[in-house]
Amino acid sequence: MHETEQHDLSDDADYAASQHQESTSNLSCDSGQATDPTESEVVYSKENVAIHPSQYASERISGRLRIVKQGSSSFLSWIPYKAASNAADSLGRSLNSSVSDKDINLYTIKAVSLSDICSIRRHIPTLGWQYIIVVLSSGLAYPPLFFYNGGVREFLATLRHHVFIVRSADDTNVFLLNDFQDPLQKSLSSLELPGVIPVAKGASLHNSSDPGSSIVDSVRVNSVTSSGTSSVSGYRGRLKQKSHDPAHDLSIQVLEKFSLVTKFAREATSQIIREFQDTHELLYEKKQKNSAALPSVTISQPDVKPNGTQRKEDLVETPDMLEFDKPSLVWGKQRQPPLTHEEWETLVDSEGRVMDSKDLRKRIFYGGVEHNLRKEVWKFLLGFYEYDSTYAEREYLESMRKSEYETIKSQWKSISEVQAKRFTKFRERRGLIEKDVVRTDRSIPYYEGDDNLHVTALHDILLTYSFYNFDLGYCQGMSDLLSPILFVMRDESEAFWSFVALMERLGPNFNRDQNGMHSQLFALSKLVELLDHPLHNYFRQADCLNYFFCFRWILIQFKREFEYDKVMHLWEVLWTHYLSEHFHLYICVAVLKRHRMKIMGEQMDFDTLLKFINELSGEINLDAVLRDAEALCVCAGESGAACIPPGTPPSLPLDLDAGLYAQQDDEVL
Amino acid sequence: MASRRRMLLKVIILGDSGVGKTSLMNQYVNKKFSNQYKATIGADFLTKEIQVEDRLFTLQMLILPFLQIWDTAGQERFQSLGVAFYRGADCCVLVYDVNVVKSFDNLNNWREEFLIQASPSDPENFPFVVLGNKIDVDGGNSRVVSEKKAKAWCASKGNIPYFETSAKEGINVEAAFECIAKNALKNEPEEEIYLPDTVDMAGSSRLQSSSSGCEC
Ligand SMILES: Nc1nc2c(ncn2[C@@H]2O[C@H](COP(=O)(O)OP(=O)(O)OP(=O)(O)O)[C@@H](O)[C@H]2O)c(=O)[nH]1
Ligand SMILES: [Mg+2]
Repeated sequence: MHETEQHDLSDDADYAASQHQESTSNLSCDSGQATDPTESEVVYSKENVAIHPSQYASERISGRLRIVKQGSSSFLSWIPYKAASNAADSLGRSLNSSVSDKDINLYTIKAVSLSDICSIRRHIPTLGWQYIIVVLSSGLAYPPLFFYNGGVREFLATLRHHVFIVRSADDTNVFLLNDFQDPLQKSLSSLELPGVIPVAKGASLHNSSDPGSSIVDSVRVNSVTSSGTSSVSGYRGRLKQKSHDPAHDLSIQVLEKFSLVTKFAREATSQIIREFQDTHELLYEKKQKNSAALPSVTISQPDVKPNGTQRKEDLVETPDMLEFDKPSLVWGKQRQPPLTHEEWETLVDSEGRVMDSKDLRKRIFYGGVEHNLRKEVWKFLLGFYEYDSTYAEREYLESMRKSEYETIKSQWKSISEVQAKRFTKFRERRGLIEKDVVRTDRSIPYYEGDDNLHVTALHDILLTYSFYNFDLGYCQGMSDLLSPILFVMRDESEAFWSFVALMERLGPNFNRDQNGMHSQLFALSKLVELLDHPLHNYFRQADCLNYFFCFRWILIQFKREFEYDKVMHLWEVLWTHYLSEHFHLYICVAVLKRHRMKIMGEQMDFDTLLKFINELSGEINLDAVLRDAEALCVCAGESGAACIPPGTPPSLPLDLDAGLYAQQDDEVL
Repeated sequence: MASRRRMLLKVIILGDSGVGKTSLMNQYVNKKFSNQYKATIGADFLTKEIQVEDRLFTLQMLILPFLQIWDTAGQERFQSLGVAFYRGADCCVLVYDVNVVKSFDNLNNWREEFLIQASPSDPENFPFVVLGNKIDVDGGNSRVVSEKKAKAWCASKGNIPYFETSAKEGINVEAAFECIAKNALKNEPEEEIYLPDTVDMAGSSRLQSSSSGCEC
């Protein structure tokens, strides 16, 4: 159970660097210097703080961010500049602004009481603009506020004087406001000590199985402490959970990206925000349970160095939003109608070559294939046909393969019953197949009824396959994979070779040592950790990290989870390998994410979860899940790919020669 | 004293592929047989509300795959699945097909598998129930494991209650699961204190000689 090796330490350096930056940053430039003639006192004011309602530079809205103190309460406000002055970017170049005054008013933050803010997430990239996301206790979040002139840390430092802030135990870039769960914190905060406040850490820290618990991070001596008893060092349990910037803690980043596109996907965003909110409630709960936990994280007041040299990142700011201006940030694209025959003909040249296979795969990824076209297109997707083959070449291939199929089939066909009597392994293998084909999709008209010829064809193909790949043989689940293929091909030989092609990739799913399944379930757990950290924590706490409840999903590519035609659609999408070879894992994450609140809210244990997931069968909205998965896959990007070890099915095995199924023993049929 | 508290009884069902585990469970819960049930992939799971001795229980039935392979794959990053699956099991049902010798021979492996994975605190006395299924097939003519042979094996393993069933015809299924529930209840340590007669029966059933059916 040592996950430690799974994380690298690069983020430690990252953290150290940020600490360093904090200590050298110049505090004096913004805070406290503004004066206002009204009764309320402006305690902080920052120019050139902007909102990006879309990815278009021309729609960015700049304004002034302020903290205003009025009596005992403080308020945050962001007032956009007039439309005219917004027609310039941060470097003063004029832009063709498409921002109207109406838009501008829409985004204005009039005066939100600091006590209504639940958390602030900061993002300080080494390149590009710093920004914050303000999440309210109501669950609402404002779009990211970009600090064109830098200064997020100073903002937070100032904020600290006016409201109780703790750093989230789960993410060092999330600051929780008004988090009075711990009585100790409450009393400390009532003392209104500026600066350091020790935070009781979450449960996981003290769980000996937590990989983070052994990591001791040196924390600087706090210079502002008045009591002199504050802890000077602490553990940083979450330290290792981050992956490298810029994608660290994607579960939060996903939220950010979605809040960037509020204009396009308000609904989706608000749902995510709600979830985010709930997540935080969960964190609180955990904290409360462990209020006795003592090792603390220290949030230090940045040391103010007199020679406030401007930070490097402020100087390298560019108008190009390196991270966020990709158009793909919009929530998964609208699904398209399936590829038609007419369209298909435009995609192949006169001799039958697919002209742009990537284009074709993309088209299918977003829309699937019309049913009567599947027979042809699936063979390309599965790799039975080469994309650059001609009609003539394919015809030749088919005929060669047909006779080859007959040859292999005749190998077992010629085993007489007398012979079979003395051939236990054959008899048992055949028995298993017989038992399974009669339990495969019998409610589909194609396989319905007694003495169905198609059921016999399933049997023959599977038994032939078990001779073609004797080491792997037959395993339960294979008949599920073959059934739609035969249904589409309506020809034994073609179905056989298509199945062979599929098994090139999915064969390891059925390996006796379960390695193929292990690596996929492991990759899935890493993806959930990346894309939904709270859910990951929940699974750990509930002892569900083996992800066995997703076993069936992965083993047979969701065959049992959707209706027959949906399964065919899903499979052709998966087989495009368009965004990722492992798109099926993102689908797993998407489905889990859709039910995360129920899973965590009802505190499902292993059994309950298994039952719940089993019973989702037939209840999953495929289109919605495909779109979610697409968005997750795009957001996860490289960090997502890094979760998946090389050679994880359906990637082709790393070492093709190494006797793939050699570990089989005699028990296998 | 009858507690009205609704309790959970967890039953694990094991046996070779195709012996009829899913069919038995569905016959018991839904009172019907269908030959459209699919082969179990991963695990099957059903629950049923039952009443035993005036108390309400939720009977949780899990059909599980053979796990040793999974666990010996030896990837430390995965916890032992057995622990997760078998945690809190109150009774283990072993099913074989009276028409398939191998499925009977494998009963021993399944029993061992359970004892290894679940490692109950008192393995000698952990409640098992054995079901010989598909007695309807061919009017019993294709049967290869005799009732006598099956009972002898059950007796040798500490008088495991034995039932001959047909999921298809619904023969003996209700009786078998009633016994399973009662045995599961026996395993419940807390309740033994409040239900002294249950303890008595547990003791006496061990003394009786092998016989078909449930003695509780
Ligand atoms: N004649 C007869 N057939 C049965 C009986 N019980 C099950 N079957 C049939 O035997 C086959 C296997 O039954 P299942 O209930 O799916 O078996 P299982 O033990 O769950 O099998 P796996 O899911 O592969 O582990 C099916 O075709 C059933 O229709 C029975 O009592 N009599
Ligand atoms: Mg089954």
